[in-house]
Amino acid sequence: MTAYIVRRLIHLIPTFLGATFLAFLIIQLAPGDFVTRLELDPSYNHQQIENLRRLFGLDQPFTVQYAKWLSGFMKGYLGVSLSYQTDVWQVLKPRLLNSLVLVSLSIIFIYVVSIPIGVYSALRQYSLADRVLTTLAFFGLAIPNFFFALLMLYFALWLKDVFGHEIFPIGGMRSLYIDGVDFFSAPKWRQWLDILWHAILPVIVSGTSGTAGLTRVMRTQMLETKMQDFVRTARAKGLSERVVVYKHILRNAIIPIVASIGFLLPELFGGAGLVEVVMGWPGLTPMMLEALFSIDVYIIMGSIGVSVILLMIGNLLSDLLLAWVDPRIRYS
Amino acid sequence: MPADEKNIDLLEGVAEHSLSHWQKAWIRFKRHPFARWAGTVLIFLYLMAIFADFVGPYPEAKSFRKYQFMQPTAIHFKTEDGRWTRPYVCKVERKRNLKTFKLEFNEDCSQHYPIYFIVHGYPYKLFGLIPADIHLFGGPWVTEEKAHIFLWGTDDFGRDLFSRIWFGGRISLSIGIFAVIIALFLGITLGGISGYFAGEKMHLIRGFLHWPSRAEIAEKGAAAFRGMFANSALARGWRNAVYEGQTLWYLLSLPLQYAFWGLAIWILAITMKGFLAVSSGFELAFAMVLFGAALAYMFWAAIFGEVAIDVDDIIMRTTEILAAIPGLFLLIILSGILAKYDLPSSTRFMMVLSILAFVSWGGLARNIRGFILQLREMEYAQAAKALGAGNWRILFRHLLPGVMGYLIVVVSLSLPGYILAESGLSFLGLGIQDPSSSWGLLLSKAQQGGMSALRQRPWLLFFPGFFIFVSILAYNYLGDALRDALDPRAEH
Repeated sequence: MTAYIVRRLIHLIPTFLGATFLAFLIIQLAPGDFVTRLELDPSYNHQQIENLRRLFGLDQPFTVQYAKWLSGFMKGYLGVSLSYQTDVWQVLKPRLLNSLVLVSLSIIFIYVVSIPIGVYSALRQYSLADRVLTTLAFFGLAIPNFFFALLMLYFALWLKDVFGHEIFPIGGMRSLYIDGVDFFSAPKWRQWLDILWHAILPVIVSGTSGTAGLTRVMRTQMLETKMQDFVRTARAKGLSERVVVYKHILRNAIIPIVASIGFLLPELFGGAGLVEVVMGWPGLTPMMLEALFSIDVYIIMGSIGVSVILLMIGNLLSDLLLAWVDPRIRYS
Repeated sequence: MPADEKNIDLLEGVAEHSLSHWQKAWIRFKRHPFARWAGTVLIFLYLMAIFADFVGPYPEAKSFRKYQFMQPTAIHFKTEDGRWTRPYVCKVERKRNLKTFKLEFNEDCSQHYPIYFIVHGYPYKLFGLIPADIHLFGGPWVTEEKAHIFLWGTDDFGRDLFSRIWFGGRISLSIGIFAVIIALFLGITLGGISGYFAGEKMHLIRGFLHWPSRAEIAEKGAAAFRGMFANSALARGWRNAVYEGQTLWYLLSLPLQYAFWGLAIWILAITMKGFLAVSSGFELAFAMVLFGAALAYMFWAAIFGEVAIDVDDIIMRTTEILAAIPGLFLLIILSGILAKYDLPSSTRFMMVLSILAFVSWGGLARNIRGFILQLREMEYAQAAKALGAGNWRILFRHLLPGVMGYLIVVVSLSLPGYILAESGLSFLGLGIQDPSSSWGLLLSKAQQGGMSALRQRPWLLFFPGFFIFVSILAYNYLGDALRDALDPRAEH
């Protein structure tokens, strides 16, 4: 087991190097660098600009810049953002945490909603409720989440017009004031409550397609497991239907669902990204977009480096989880 | 009647009505409850997009600066005194309300502008070739600009949304197909090569000298050094090439190998020089050791050693690298860089679809590799080999057709993903750009001017979004039906 984990971790190194190098290469394709736009700024003279170039290593070949970045990354230093005039990690950390709040709440939402629905659908296959839920799942898979996010905003605005005050917040992640007190001086639990209230609509939106997908998988899994011989044996033994369903069918059907967390992660990262942009949630993706427009190389590289590591760990965890819940799978 | 006789009858009956694999698939396809509906909707959408010039009353980029964000034009069916009449529209005036300072649109129904069908209007070129000016609906007042018919309102430049939806459909509905073709090409070729040649080594470099081992020196003494060239990786490779009759290929690949290796050493050396110049302390020492070791190994390999890797490994590692970057981020940085360049719209279209294909070929290649790994061990593949068929012939004529059913399903299931990705990119302002039109771009106008703008001009939200949703839904149903139809397990 330990050997397997170590081998997997070692295997991740070339992937990480390749992925970050590819990203670095792509950013180099942009015309000019992030000092270029200062050339038009009259408050900088030629000498200062040259100094800045040297300071950020922009006069070096790009492989050197990459090696420098990598060496810094190993030491936990992500470089300096020119737009924010500060350490990249200072900019990145709050954004990353915000995104993680959204993503982890979405994962909880997905599992809490889709497993019961999938089980219910499978137990009452071809019933009216099953048909309705399956159709809804199809709709949920088809609706683009940025469109859905806009619809939700429209809905929130409509509620506001009808009731005269905000039932759901219209975008953003926190209120300016809580009960007349500035957000940051309010009690901690009120702050969290406020963030949760703001997260309701974004979580529903970014969780929808995952929920729809997982419901379908859960339903198919249940239907397949229902036909297995051991279920017939269990029934023949005279076990109650409740025991058969929950102890025999569900436990076996849920295995791939549990392990799919790792595969949900990349999709959620991407999906939540567009939702963040539309709903004004201050996460990674809006920051990436800003950084792209100003070619703030180290902000982009920092967020890609960190998210690549998060994804790889997520995949590893889900493989381990799968091996743990399903003894039939051997490490190879 | 004896049991076996009955069986024979039955078999004859089956044989008379036997259906081909594709016929059976077609029957199963038709059985899917929504497949026909989805197909019909898609055909309708594609037709409307192809004949967008004819369907829409206005050309794609025709803008009325005075009519920004105008709400859908009201179509009247009754005159003021309540009589039914031919549908008509009224002239709409834009005025600023001096009390509220808001823009108001006032309808002036003193004159009716009746809507006619199949009428002359703005000239256009059908399929980009045939000059025409027939439109589905309109009237002489459309080109004379006496009144306007904006069925679904206008956007930020005062352009007719109804027309632009259909023009946008051309891009939104076709970009997926083109991207899937490119991704398929990459996936089939690379996945096929990866699977078929898995396990065979490709040389990156062959050293031209052989350094005898200690045992050899002890045995032969100085004579061991006499065979330095003859025992080198280069010479062994040549003997092998002569044996296999591929000497020409070998002679061609040699200079390529040395050029590649030289380039790699050169890049490493430059990186080392630059890195050492800007580093100090522990970092400097560490870098010197690391770079020094790498350079030393590369020189050693070029003279005494050999480096060979599995093509399969290279391709599969590449797909892993592509999969390791979150898809949206990869899309965003690729197209964000692209957005920095001022490109004509047709080039941008090509670039966007190349990006979509580049981001997505990996999964396809991995799956095809899996199939090929299985198929190449089949008897018919070995039979083809025994008959003397070449590698490429076996791969493309015998193995890849076996993946056909899977490919059809994959294409139809992945198309909605491309439509979604394109509209997402255009929505962020990184894909298709004005004055071209695509559904994602049109949808992005809904939020222009802040959150509250959504309520003021809902038509910019609902219409483009609806079409993205419907086309993805239809493709999903179609893919689902095709999967059911082509699933070999469904045969009985």
